[in-house]
Amino acid sequence: MRQSIAKRLAALFAGAGLLVFSFNAAALYRVLQTEIDQHQYAQLDTKRRLMQVIIGRCMAPDKWAGVVAKFDAVTPGDGSTQFWVTSADPRFEYGNPTAFLRNLMDGKPGSGTLELEPGRVQKSMLQVIDANQDRPAVRMLVANDSAPYSQTMRAFLTALVLLSAAGVAVVALLGHYIARLALRPLGQLSAEAHALSPRNLSQRLWLSQLPNELADLKNSFNGALDRLEQAYSQLEAFNADVAHELRTPLTNLIGQTQVALARERSADELCETLQSNLEELERLRVIVNDMLFLASADRGATAQECQPCSIAQEVAKTVEFLEYILDEASVTVQVEGNAQGLIERSLFRRALTNLIHNAVQHSQPGAAVRIVIAEAQGSVQVAVSNPGAAFSIDNTERLFDRFYRADTARKNSGENHGLGLSIVKAVAKMHGGTVFANSERGLNTVGFTVIAA
Amino acid sequence: MKLLIVEDEAKTADYLQRGLSEQGHSVDVARNGLDGRGLALARDYDVVVLDVMLPGCDGWSVLQALRAEKQTPVIMLTARDRVDDRVRGLQEGADDYLVKPFSFLELVARLQVITRRGRAQEQSQLRVGDLQVDLLKRKAQRGSTRIDLTAKEFALLALLARRHGEILSKTVIAELVWDMNFDSHTNVVEVAIKRLRAKIDAPFPQKLLHTIRGMGYVLEAREAKDVQ
Repeated sequence: MRQSIAKRLAALFAGAGLLVFSFNAAALYRVLQTEIDQHQYAQLDTKRRLMQVIIGRCMAPDKWAGVVAKFDAVTPGDGSTQFWVTSADPRFEYGNPTAFLRNLMDGKPGSGTLELEPGRVQKSMLQVIDANQDRPAVRMLVANDSAPYSQTMRAFLTALVLLSAAGVAVVALLGHYIARLALRPLGQLSAEAHALSPRNLSQRLWLSQLPNELADLKNSFNGALDRLEQAYSQLEAFNADVAHELRTPLTNLIGQTQVALARERSADELCETLQSNLEELERLRVIVNDMLFLASADRGATAQECQPCSIAQEVAKTVEFLEYILDEASVTVQVEGNAQGLIERSLFRRALTNLIHNAVQHSQPGAAVRIVIAEAQGSVQVAVSNPGAAFSIDNTERLFDRFYRADTARKNSGENHGLGLSIVKAVAKMHGGTVFANSERGLNTVGFTVIAA
Repeated sequence: MKLLIVEDEAKTADYLQRGLSEQGHSVDVARNGLDGRGLALARDYDVVVLDVMLPGCDGWSVLQALRAEKQTPVIMLTARDRVDDRVRGLQEGADDYLVKPFSFLELVARLQVITRRGRAQEQSQLRVGDLQVDLLKRKAQRGSTRIDLTAKEFALLALLARRHGEILSKTVIAELVWDMNFDSHTNVVEVAIKRLRAKIDAPFPQKLLHTIRGMGYVLEAREAKDVQ
């Protein structure tokens, strides 16, 4: 799903704001309510104590009229405070308590609430005043009308909700603005990336004033562009090389066939032409097969029939295969080390044949080729060294490129079409390994790794 | 040998038919999958050479239909070298598998391998012209002259003698003598042949080991006028 980062951030800010504001509002509301309740009870308590003292002093029915007068005086005209008194003797009563109230006043003394009309809750206090001479024990209920306080609370709640909502909205707007401000470099980067064109592969993102997070992105992106440019130019060079490589045998084929057919030829001459054609065709077949092999490795093909093998044994087998070539070139081979590697034999031998053959081709008669097998960190390294003119650092990188020849003057032989080391690289890749090359003290080393068994 | 070639590409089918007929086989050709399936089921062939990509119904269906009824050996031909394909081919009962571009010699060699399977064991004494090769004692001689050969030279000679009269490509020789089954881009086989020739042919007037340019090598006793 496509979404604007600024909008998402704004929504997230708003969510966080809502959470904080709600918490604050709830806490404030709670504090105020507690305070108001305490205030109301304190008021009731004052009145309760006053009347308790007055009733306590009354010892006879004839004094009760004085108490009633005191009650009337203390009860405010708006009825915001009310008193009721019940007693076993009807002469010591006040406020005409209803049956409901009498029932209530028989309960446990202390603070409570009273709801005489639905929706109108009053704070109340029940007090028992012990008997004194002729007066029996009486029960007194004091109730305070909390309607004004409830109204205040409602107004306060409304204000809280409205303020919180407004706060959330402001946070969302500010968040959106801040996010857009912070994301502005991203927009610039995007505009720059848009401007990149395939016609100019050397273009890069150049913004220098970028925050750290984006600078990393820019660098990675430029790195990817570097690799793309390199791959692209390699591909272009590769296509040109393929065309060149195929052109020579094709030219020979067409030319000599045309010459042969231009006039009457003896069977022997025609036979000669056909044989020569066959040689060229064989060359084409080998190139096409090798290219297909490389293409399959590029597509991610892996060695299928890997099994643990003694690398020294495989090296010995390959050296035995190349014995005649070594002999003809007067080159000796020296093998050192051994390890168990996880390899597909025929692929491994193919790579090794190419490596040794490459070393022999770049050696003078009498030279010694050294093959070192070493195991390190879970992989087995096979390095083939031969004494020879050092290749430059630049060449080291390109050694494994297709159709690359260290000596620029191409030896135009059918056997050496410049794919040998790229096949080594492909084989290494198919075995989960890598290739390496270096040139030190007159010794050129090229090799590859496979996974140790 | 009675062969069926199922191949829609006209040039390929034609040269295969011609080449295999000239080798003394009786060859039928089907140009599409349906005809191929019909012929393969109706007649008894020694080997069926079956292209994978065919109009009508593809090589896999032909193979399945054939395997449902018969065990005729099948060599599959394909333009795609995918391991999956190869595994699938062998699982579904193909006997061998060749990837285009393949050489005619390779096909002939594979045909021979398939038809040779299960045949009586080979003789241990081989004779080509006045050359005698003893596979058990690992000795070779021409006329009454013993020829000293290294182990590899003998392995090469034994291969050529066993398949005498048959052209063997460099790839086949590398595979059977050195167990290297890939195009090696080296001239190992040429050098080996040169050395073998120096021992078995150079000292004698009649040459037995011949080079067929662009194809490979053959060991046979030829009439004097044929010698190149």
